[in-house]
This record gives sequence, C-alpha cells and structure tokens, in this order.
Amino acid sequence: MTNTSDPALNPVSSAPATPKSPSQAPQKKMEQSQSQPQPKGQKPPKPTKPAKQQPPKDKNASTPADAAGGDKLSPAELKKQAKAEKAARRARERADREQAGGSAPAGGQGPNTPAGKRGSDAAGGAPVGSSKGQKTATRRGSAQAAPQGGAAAELKKKQEDKNVAVFGHLYGQQRRNTVAGAGKEVHPAVLALGLQLRDYVICGSSARCVATLLAFKRVIEAYTTPIGTSLARHLTTHLSHQITYLSTCRPLSISQGNAIRALKLFISSIDPSVPEAQAKTSLCEFIDTFISEKITVADQVIAGSAAQKIKDGDVIVTFAGSSIVKQTLLTAFRQGKKFRVSIIDSRPLFEGKNLARTLASAGLEVQYSLINGISHAIKDATKVFLGAHAMTSNGRLYSRVGTALVAMSAKERAGGVEVPVIVCCETVKFTDRVALDSIVVNEIADADELVITQEPHQLTDLPDPAATSQPAPKKGGKPAASNPSVSETTTPKNNGSPLKDWRDTPNLQLLNIMYDVTPAEYVDMVVTEMGSLPPSAVPIVHRMSTNT
Amino acid sequence: MSPPSAPLTPGLASFLKSLKTNPIDTSIDNLISLLKRRQIRHSRSCATATAYLLRSVVSACRTSDASKLIERVQSVGKRLIAAQPREMVVGNIVRRVLGLIRDEAEDDRDGEFNLSEAGSESQPQTPRASDDPSDSLYGRHDGSALKPLSSLAAHPISMFSLLSHPEPEHSLPGTPGSASPSGRSPGHTQNNDIRAEVLDGINEIIDELGQVDDQISAYALDHIHSNEIILTHTSSTTVQKFLLKAAAKRKFTVIHAESYPNNHEATHATVSGTATNDDELLSTESFQKPLIAHGITVILIPDSAVFALMSRVNKVILGTHSVLANGGLVAAAGTRVIARAAKVHQTPVVVVSGVYKLSPVYPFDFDSLIEYGDSSKVIGFEDGDLVEQIDVQNPLYDYVPAELVDLYITNLGGHAPSYLYRIVSDHYRKEDISF
Repeated sequence: MTNTSDPALNPVSSAPATPKSPSQAPQKKMEQSQSQPQPKGQKPPKPTKPAKQQPPKDKNASTPADAAGGDKLSPAELKKQAKAEKAARRARERADREQAGGSAPAGGQGPNTPAGKRGSDAAGGAPVGSSKGQKTATRRGSAQAAPQGGAAAELKKKQEDKNVAVFGHLYGQQRRNTVAGAGKEVHPAVLALGLQLRDYVICGSSARCVATLLAFKRVIEAYTTPIGTSLARHLTTHLSHQITYLSTCRPLSISQGNAIRALKLFISSIDPSVPEAQAKTSLCEFIDTFISEKITVADQVIAGSAAQKIKDGDVIVTFAGSSIVKQTLLTAFRQGKKFRVSIIDSRPLFEGKNLARTLASAGLEVQYSLINGISHAIKDATKVFLGAHAMTSNGRLYSRVGTALVAMSAKERAGGVEVPVIVCCETVKFTDRVALDSIVVNEIADADELVITQEPHQLTDLPDPAATSQPAPKKGGKPAASNPSVSETTTPKNNGSPLKDWRDTPNLQLLNIMYDVTPAEYVDMVVTEMGSLPPSAVPIVHRMSTNT
Repeated sequence: MSPPSAPLTPGLASFLKSLKTNPIDTSIDNLISLLKRRQIRHSRSCATATAYLLRSVVSACRTSDASKLIERVQSVGKRLIAAQPREMVVGNIVRRVLGLIRDEAEDDRDGEFNLSEAGSESQPQTPRASDDPSDSLYGRHDGSALKPLSSLAAHPISMFSLLSHPEPEHSLPGTPGSASPSGRSPGHTQNNDIRAEVLDGINEIIDELGQVDDQISAYALDHIHSNEIILTHTSSTTVQKFLLKAAAKRKFTVIHAESYPNNHEATHATVSGTATNDDELLSTESFQKPLIAHGITVILIPDSAVFALMSRVNKVILGTHSVLANGGLVAAAGTRVIARAAKVHQTPVVVVSGVYKLSPVYPFDFDSLIEYGDSSKVIGFEDGDLVEQIDVQNPLYDYVPAELVDLYITNLGGHAPSYLYRIVSDHYRKEDISF
C-alpha cells in the first residue's frame, strides 16, 4: 500500500536546494517547523501556490498553517486556509488509513493499478482516494495496529532524504519485511509467496505470475462464501486482500496484473446460481488452463520458434537470466545446433549466473561477462536474444535494467553490421500502458542491495563463535548494514564497503532501479506464442488477446 | 626486487623511494617488474614513475654524446614499453624525453657559431647533475636545478667540441658504477650541460604531471552550469577535481556509475568520501573533500542503469586511460556503452585528460589495445564450479571511437577530437613516434 503523503514530500527533501539537513537528528526537528522553509524549498516550476501544496506534505502542518494565516483575513487567504485545513484533514485520514496496516482500499480495480501510479494519483489530492480511505479507516482502524504504523512512519521520515528526486513518484511505502501486520484474510500460501517475491526467490515475470496464480488457486480451494453474499461478489474482495498484500511485498508485475485481471473477469462472470463447489472447481480449472495456455505451452511454442532462428555457428548474446531465453537456447541445443552463448550480467541480482550454470551443465559453450564487457561481448555476436518483463503498447521493451544497453550496442556496433535483436515474450506480458523513458514507469528496489557486503572471511580453522553464528541469517542480497548487530560484532576493520553508512552520509543517494525501457527501433522481432511480430504489432496483439 | 628498506607494498611510492638508493639498473628492472605485475596501474602513476626513472637514467648516464643519450633512453624506453605495451603513457613520457634531448642537441648545433671554449670555470658545477641520482630528487623544488641552466647560457656547447672530445672514460650506458661522482675530467662540461638541460625538461614534465589535474579543473566553470545533471564513471581523480572545482561555485547533481567490478571499491570510496587506503594515489588527493561535502547531490547507480537515466543527464564527463591520435580513447570498460548511450540521447560527452595521456598511436587493431583483467572479480572463488565450466571475461578497457566524444579538455584547453593529431605533433617528434 502506498503512503500518499510520501511522493509529495520527496521533491522538497531531496531537492539539491536543501543541503543543510546534514544528519538525521535535525531532520526530525525540521519536520516540525517545515511550514516556514517550505515555500523556499519548493520545486521551482510551481512557486505560485505554496499554501496549497503545503499541508499534504506534513501531517502536523495544520496548526502552524493556521497560525500563519490567522492574522491576515483577506478572502483569498481565508479560502487558502480552508483549503489547507481540508487537505490537512485528508492527510490525517490517509495517515489513519496507513496505520490500519496492510489492508487495502476495498474495491475492484484498486489493487490492480501498480503502486506508483496510485501514489501519484493520491498525491494530487484526488477526492476519490480520500473517500476510499475514510471507508477503510472506519472498517479496520484497530488500536493494536496503530503503534506499528507509527513506527513505520518514523522510519520513513528518516529515509526521506535518500529518495532520488527524479524518481520521487516511484518510492512507495517501504517494502514489507515481515508477515506481521498482514490482514487475517491473507492466506498462508500468499503470505509465504509475498516473502519469496520480496527476496527475489521467485523472480522473473512469468515465474511470479505462475506462483501467484498457484497461490490463488489454494486461496480459492480454501475459500468458503460467507452467508449472505455470493461467490462472484465476495471472492473478488477476498482476493483483493491477497493482492494488496503481495503488492506491498513487491510491486506487481505486468504479467501478474494481467493474470489477476483475467481471473477477476472470470469470477465476475460466474453465474450466482452455480453451486459453490462447482464454481470453485471451474475457477481452479480456469487457473490451470490460464497457466498452461498463457505461460507453459506458450513458452514451449516460443522456444520452438525462437530456436529456429538459431543457426550453426551463431554467437548468441543474452542479458541477465530470462527463463524463456534459457528454454530457447536449450531447445536449440537439443536440436543439435552448434552455437556459443555469451551472457551479460549485472549487479545486484546476478541473474545471469544461474542461466550460465544451467546452460553450462547442459553442455553449451558459455561465455560470461558483466555489463562493463558489453562492447567486447557484442563484437562477435550474431544474434541477441532478450527476455522481457513487459512489452508496452508503443512497442518498447520493458525489461531488466541494462537490457537497453545491450540492445543499443547490438544496433550500433562499430563494424556497422547490425546484430538482430530478438525478444522472446509471452502475450500475457503485453500491456496497454505506454512508456517513453525508464523514469515514468519503473520499480525501485531497496538501495541497500547495492552495498557490497563481504562475507566474513574465515581463513583459519578456529571458528570465532560469534562469526560462525552470523553468516546463516545473512541471506543473498541482504546487506549487513540493515542488521546493525551483525556489522558491529564482525571485526570493525573488515567493515566491507565504504557505502556501509550511506544513509547517514548527507547528499549521497543510491539508486537501484529494476527496469529500463528499450526503444522500439532496437528490437527487430518479438517472438510470441502467436507468432513472430515486429514491435509495432504489440498493441494489436494485446487487443486481440484481451478481447477474446 | 623491492628494496629492503621499504616496508611499503610495491607501487609508485615504494618505487620512488627505492629510486634514491638503488643503482640505476636495479631501478629499471624494478619498474619493469612493477609494470609487468601491474603493481603500478594508474596511467598517472606510470607516467610519474617513468619520468623519475628517466631522470635518474639521464643523470646517471655520463655520455658525451647526445645521440648516445638518445640511444640510452631509447633502450630503457623500449624495455619499459615491452614490459607493458598497453600502458601507453610510458611510451609517451619516453618520447617526450627523447624529444627534449633532440631539441637540446639541435639547439647546440644551432649555437655552433657562438662557439666558445669549454670553460674550465664551470667545472665546479659539473658534479652536481651527476652527483647522485637522489640528489636531484631532494633538490627538485629549490632553485638548485636552475644552476646548470645559467652555466649553459654562459658557455654554449658546440657540436665541434662534442665531436672533438671523444669520451675518455668508459662510462658506457648501462654501467651501474657510472653513477659515482668520481673520475670527472674537465672535457665533460658541455655534456653535463646538455644533460642538465634535459634534466630540467624532465623536471618540468614531472611538475606538469603533478599539476595537470588542477590545470584541467581550471576549465570546469566553462563547462558546468548550475542545476546540471552530470554523469560520470569510475573514480578518476581528474574528473573528481574537475567537478570539485565547479562545485565550489555552482550547485549541480552528479550521477556516478560505479564501474563494477574493476573500480567499484574506489568509486564507492570516492563517492562516500571515506578515506582510501590506496597508496598509489598521492596523499593530497586522499585528503580532499568529497563532492557531497560541497553540497553536491551524488547519486550512485549500477552501470546497468546508465541508459535509463541518460534521458535526464545534461552532460557526461569521463576520465580516460589514454587518448589516441585519431581522437579515440582507451578508457575503463563500460565507457563505450556510456558514450554510446549519451550519443543516442544527444547528450554531450566531455573527456578530461592530461596531455601526457595523448599517445601518437593510430589504432588499427582495437583488440590489441584492450587489456583483460582478473576474472575472479566477475565470478568469485565461491563459484568455482561455475568458473570451471564457463569462460569468464573481464575486460579492463574499452576503445571509444572519436565520433562518440564531443570535447576533450586537456591542460592546454578544450579541443575537438579531430584536432588532437595537431597536439600530438606538437608534443612528440616524428622520429620518436616509433622509436
């Protein structure tokens, strides 16, 4: 769930105009007295209406604003003041709603919209958002959840400074770290899935989609319609809770959104007269067919047709670890084709490592380099195969950050010979959204993932009891910085990265975006289960597949 | 080969220290091994080490003949270049020293007509230059280095006297014992004077190496304006100084690509301002305030996010490893895609580089310029099973073609890439380009 006051705060706190908030301690003080410096720190484009912008930025702002506006009684001032009060009330309501924990605004389409978009809508002061908030606040304002929400807000205030201004609209609420605070409606399978998604245990657009659908299948199996409602009506709301929980763990992928949309459409089409058991069976069947039709079989079809593009002696360059590209390469290899694969990988996820491992153990000839070696890897490439997170309606490829660099290098090779860039993508990943650059639509991952943590090197045989107990809880990308006790007990001289304290370093920001947008002119062909298309055909195919 | 007195890790600092005490041939071997083992890495460190070594070589080489001096420097230079052919600054410094010697020799030939006796009264000064190689190290900054210059002005050397006085003593180039100050004969004044001139020139080169970043940063305010978003890559001190200079006057935002895996640690340290323990960097730089201390917002990104952010970037400022005469450059791996992405987004690319990095090399085989590094930085030893199966590559450098660069800023000012060949011909003599 998005914190609505958050995006509005970002431009101020992270704008270069306020460099005098060096440490976190005075930051809190500043929050209190923010009504004065605010007009100064405002973003340059709209300095004319500071009073309007002021209140949603700070929950405590209503009183200072009153005091400031009290002496002057011009009608305009009064109007402004009234507006400010109203906005402050809204902000308070939103805060209440936020404190209600992970619960979502109820309603059909709400959870489907990605978090970032919803956040910017609400920041605009849309009355829809506030009324929705009111409703949920009354419904779920439990006293027990309140202090926890307050703590979360506290934490956020500390980190406000670290949001990159350009991407301000993408910073939602901090990702959920535990299952605590999740609604009681959330099914255990979904709870587990949420954590797996967050930790990138389940990673990749199709995998996330399949895992979500399978979890929802279990939700539906365990579901009983409460007395007094019909399945078609209530199940949708029930699923919405699950979906909201998932989106707090990690913003939903396009494929997840598409799958959920299809599922909801199917639920709403169920005749209320159908008995519950039968409806549930048909729903499970629908999920199974959806998975096999849109993903499993689609993958086989794509792998088959993409493998035909591989010829003997080819050098295939791919980026990161796409499951469909892996399948394609393995299919081509099983067909007895002789080719070489060059994998380009990037920090911090290193998804290509797994791909390299799989391909190498299958017997392919694999070359591996990081993103700094693109221009060397691309030199003797004959084809580039890329996976996709999504294909936008304007034909652009929305995929793991770095994909655009690979596609660009392929198209602008020094020799002048262009390397064909082939994207493998199921139609379930097509979306009607459009994107021109990678800034409007994106996902911000935890910047701490960029901080390099060195595993404590134990060279001697005698294990330090403190040290041996530590490596276990430390997982993959989780940095030591997030766990202060660990970093303190390990030897202070081996403190690893100089970025360890980046959150306490003023003016230093880390940016860890997940995706980028590759221009359509870099993509020669999109291989889908419906055939091989140019990127310009994406909107047509999308319309076809959603209308049927 | 490292000196017993120096407990330092092998590198520039230990080399310069050992240069004072070790005989000249030991020092040459020492530098060669340092270059071969890549214990001296940065192009400026290489250039500085080469310049100091050549100064010792010249001051130790007690030949009477300019051509013999050239021969000696050439032979040392060849060995250094063979030790690390991709470190082009080594060759550049050798070429500049050769050019100095030739210039001096020609000046002498020109001055043939104001021939005067090789005065014996200048003899007291003769031991100075070749007294002890370390002497000149100590006395670099006081005025003592200027003394031979005045003696030269008083007694121009003539070609005639050069030829008419065959070398009586056997201080052949390469004899370690030739560094001893004994055994002077009055007939050598003029040789010492030519050497003093050359030594002066080398000192100027060394001074230039020390000042080059400051000279470049003087142009910073011409190129960075307020509220700009600047993208840079690697922890190049030249770029950092350039940005710092601008930061003193203007507020802008820096996006810093971390250049994983070869330079990310230094980049992180540069960005966060934590003290580097890199002994190759000279001490003044490690005491420098980082950009963030000047109120500049620095955003650190992984290299993969360059394309995503390029649409917001106003200018790309890059450091380089060496610059080629055709305007292309050899820079840290990853630079090429950054420059390419900038070109795609119509963002100007500015390369800051000292003139000493400018190499008279026209590249035909780009692969020969590229050095490959430690692949364990890409996949660590914990993934040993994987490394056995696959081919891991870690290129250290990229060749960036000239058309991707919009502007070069050197200590001489700003130049278009197409103009660089002119600067090359200004700095290196034709006969030295392939010595």
